[in-house]
Amino acid sequence: MIVSKVLLPAIVAPLVAGIGAALATRLAYRITRKTPSAQSNSGFKYGQAFTASMVALAHGTSDGQKTMGVITLVLIAANLQPSGTGPPLWVIITAGLAIGLGTYSGGWRIMRTMGKGIVEIETPQGAASGAATSATILASAHLGFGLSTTHVSTGSILGSGVGREGAEVRWSVARRMMVAWLLTLPGAALVGGLAALLAGQGVPGVIALMLLLAGACLVIYVFSRRHRITHANVTDSHEVLVLAAAAPTAYDDDPRLEVPPKPKKVRRPKAKSAA
Amino acid sequence: MRVDWAALGIVAVVSIATSVIFTILLATGIRLVSAAKIKSNEGGSGTATVSLGYVLLGIAGLLVLFGIYLIVPQFH
Repeated sequence: MIVSKVLLPAIVAPLVAGIGAALATRLAYRITRKTPSAQSNSGFKYGQAFTASMVALAHGTSDGQKTMGVITLVLIAANLQPSGTGPPLWVIITAGLAIGLGTYSGGWRIMRTMGKGIVEIETPQGAASGAATSATILASAHLGFGLSTTHVSTGSILGSGVGREGAEVRWSVARRMMVAWLLTLPGAALVGGLAALLAGQGVPGVIALMLLLAGACLVIYVFSRRHRITHANVTDSHEVLVLAAAAPTAYDDDPRLEVPPKPKKVRRPKAKSAA
Repeated sequence: MRVDWAALGIVAVVSIATSVIFTILLATGIRLVSAAKIKSNEGGSGTATVSLGYVLLGIAGLLVLFGIYLIVPQFH
């Protein structure tokens, strides 16, 4: 069940979206080869706006529903809500707010990675990959496959890079994203398990858990401020940095990155214990 | 473990076909409308080309509307 409905679609769907986007991109460029680029660009810009809105809507209905589903399931399991009823209004509003605010606050980093990091996106590619993403998510959701919009989007953006002649696809970025995805599954399981253990200790445990979560959010926020990405600089570079030390060596010669020199660690000789 | 290959195959075919058809409609529409503009700038009449172009763009728009219809559960 898990393999058939979750794991396999998670691999197949980005692949399918990638193939669709590659074919669509190739055709889009071939069809408009003789069209003046100013006119084709403005046309595809409208197409991209429509397909991107479709992706956003599909994202809300698939990823938003998962969050609401989990909360509602807990409420029913805890006998706080009769079984057979839908999610209450406050759950719908908080899940919507959380997903919207999260995208609003962290979205610029994702935008840079998706729009420039993997491959430089031009408007025909944007329209084609948006169409492939929404088509794949819609078709999969119709058959009950659990999917992540980001996975599918990444697949179609990679595909649109393969489909456009002369596009430079940064496979290293895609590889890093794949590794990150693989790490999130056991990582989320571990954090979830530890959080459940802590929350099981009663009210003090729950309070401690909330404080820990808030602290973790604050740390992530502070780190993200170091290399801030806003609406003003989102298209300046293709690199998203979390820590300067994490900059890959391949980009060390890129002056836009300005990796500050590492401060020399002063080694304090430890007093050796006589053991 | 039983994997529903048929369902996966349907998803693959439908997704790829829809994205390709949508993009063909969009790109051809843009090409025709632009060609008609150039033609009328040169003193010719591009009415037939421009209307065909807008028809194709309209079909692409209908595909988008159908997608919204599929996404929003309140519609069905």
